[in-house]
Amino acid sequence: MTNLIRAELQKLFTTRLWWAMALVMLALTTLGLAFLIAQAGAPAPNGQPALPALDDPAWLPLALSNANGNIFTMILGIVLMTGEYRYQTITGTFLTTPKRGRVIAAKLGAGVIIGAFFAVVSLLFTAVVAVTAVLIGGGTVDLTANRIPQLAVGVLATMILYALFGIGLGALVRNQVAALIGGVVWAFVIESILSSFPALQAVGKWLPGGAAQALMSIDFDTGLGESNLLPAWGGALVLIGYALLFAVIANLTTTRRDIT
Amino acid sequence: MTAIEIRNLSKSFGAVRAVDDVSFTVEAGTVTGYLGPNGAGKTTTLRSLLGLVTPDSGEALVNGRRYASLDHPLNEVGAVLEATSFHPGRTARDHLRIMTTAAGLPASRPDEALEQVGLADAARKRVGGFSLGMRQRLALAGALLGQPKIFILDEPANGLDPAGIQWLRGFLRHLAHDLGAAVLVSSHVLAEVEQTVDNVVIIAKGRLVRQGSLAELTGNGGGAVRVKTKDDFAPALRAAGAEVEEVEPGVLRVKGLDAEEIGRLALDQRVLLTEVAQERSDLQSVFLELTGEGAPA
Repeated sequence: MTNLIRAELQKLFTTRLWWAMALVMLALTTLGLAFLIAQAGAPAPNGQPALPALDDPAWLPLALSNANGNIFTMILGIVLMTGEYRYQTITGTFLTTPKRGRVIAAKLGAGVIIGAFFAVVSLLFTAVVAVTAVLIGGGTVDLTANRIPQLAVGVLATMILYALFGIGLGALVRNQVAALIGGVVWAFVIESILSSFPALQAVGKWLPGGAAQALMSIDFDTGLGESNLLPAWGGALVLIGYALLFAVIANLTTTRRDIT
Repeated sequence: MTAIEIRNLSKSFGAVRAVDDVSFTVEAGTVTGYLGPNGAGKTTTLRSLLGLVTPDSGEALVNGRRYASLDHPLNEVGAVLEATSFHPGRTARDHLRIMTTAAGLPASRPDEALEQVGLADAARKRVGGFSLGMRQRLALAGALLGQPKIFILDEPANGLDPAGIQWLRGFLRHLAHDLGAAVLVSSHVLAEVEQTVDNVVIIAKGRLVRQGSLAELTGNGGGAVRVKTKDDFAPALRAAGAEVEEVEPGVLRVKGLDAEEIGRLALDQRVLLTEVAQERSDLQSVFLELTGEGAPA
């Protein structure tokens, strides 16, 4: 299985997609950080600061939650699976490993490593920029306070689980474009609606996006009322559940099909 | 043990019976041509053999086992299927490295296999820029990675230039006759494999129509001899007991006498022959006849 996981990692790192994805992720993170720095402490229309100031201990956790690039690990997960069908490399993959369940398992294993790699890159980049900004802004930095460790672990876990979610989705859908559009629209349009409004969170908390929010324990007051989310561990279980559910369904259906 | 064994294999796709009760075997040390027109069921048979397609009934075995049950398939079977199955953004060497890693083979194998198929110079180029012929060679390199003793190749000559086809013929013969491998190679173009194969299996519309050695299938055309002469030679031939047919003015098709007897008769009769040729029923006409195809276009 170690060999198979290594082969799956080679598949990703021998094409150009991964660093393009890493660059886009860092670019978007930079944009988010620039906004958070520029607006830090700026007063809202009613005179209250809309965002904490740079020297406010509440600012750093906010900046860190901006490191979450789960859309990118989801896309990588989808591509890791559907790319095989798109370029018909699935033929060679199944010839090398005819026990097809092992291929799916190896992809999930590789997804953990890929998700963790991207999360660490994003967190390190964000931490360097954000800590610098706080120090320049006259604040003090305590990386053990204000739920910062929990946030970092939350980002790591969310990005890993979204990679697995993408792999499971890709195994089920197989058509790359359909899986990508479906995945992005579902996770970042429909779900963001369902999980943003507390009234809809009764449903939304059971979906991947709501589960991810629970995992990150992001319950900032959005002015829309009290959040209704699962506990963090519940969110993690829901995300793992989706990945496994998709992978198992795929194993019973799509991956059994003839490769012609 | 029989290297490749297909036993009563049947497979339908919807209403189409792609393969219908096909049985044949391939022994070590021989090259078997699997011939038939496009759509005859060749690819479906080979993909069943490789565990990519699940047959409806019957069995397709390599070394007596189903492909999907092999623990180290690349060490037992090398397969070349359609040439498009590469990621265009990946280099030839990386493509082989991934297979090598997954199969747990030595890291030196990709370079050795590329050398073997004459692709060493293109090892670090992206497959997207490869010609069809180069892709075929790369696919063959993939089949060689595990140094197997069984090779299954689906239309490997597609896209190769004449020099490439010549090279492939020599290579397949080398694998079978020097290294003792069992080679099963499909083609819809008979001329591609005619000079390579020891045995022939012919399939048409999903059904096996003929199998045997190349010699059995070609025969010698019933021993007819073609004779070209401007003289009136037919009466003398008939008098000598031959059956004579004037194919066109000046060209006779003679049965019942061999070339030497015809030559002696011509000498006795002071007849000038401009050509004497033993007629062979070439495999192409056997093939067209057996597969129910019309004359070649």
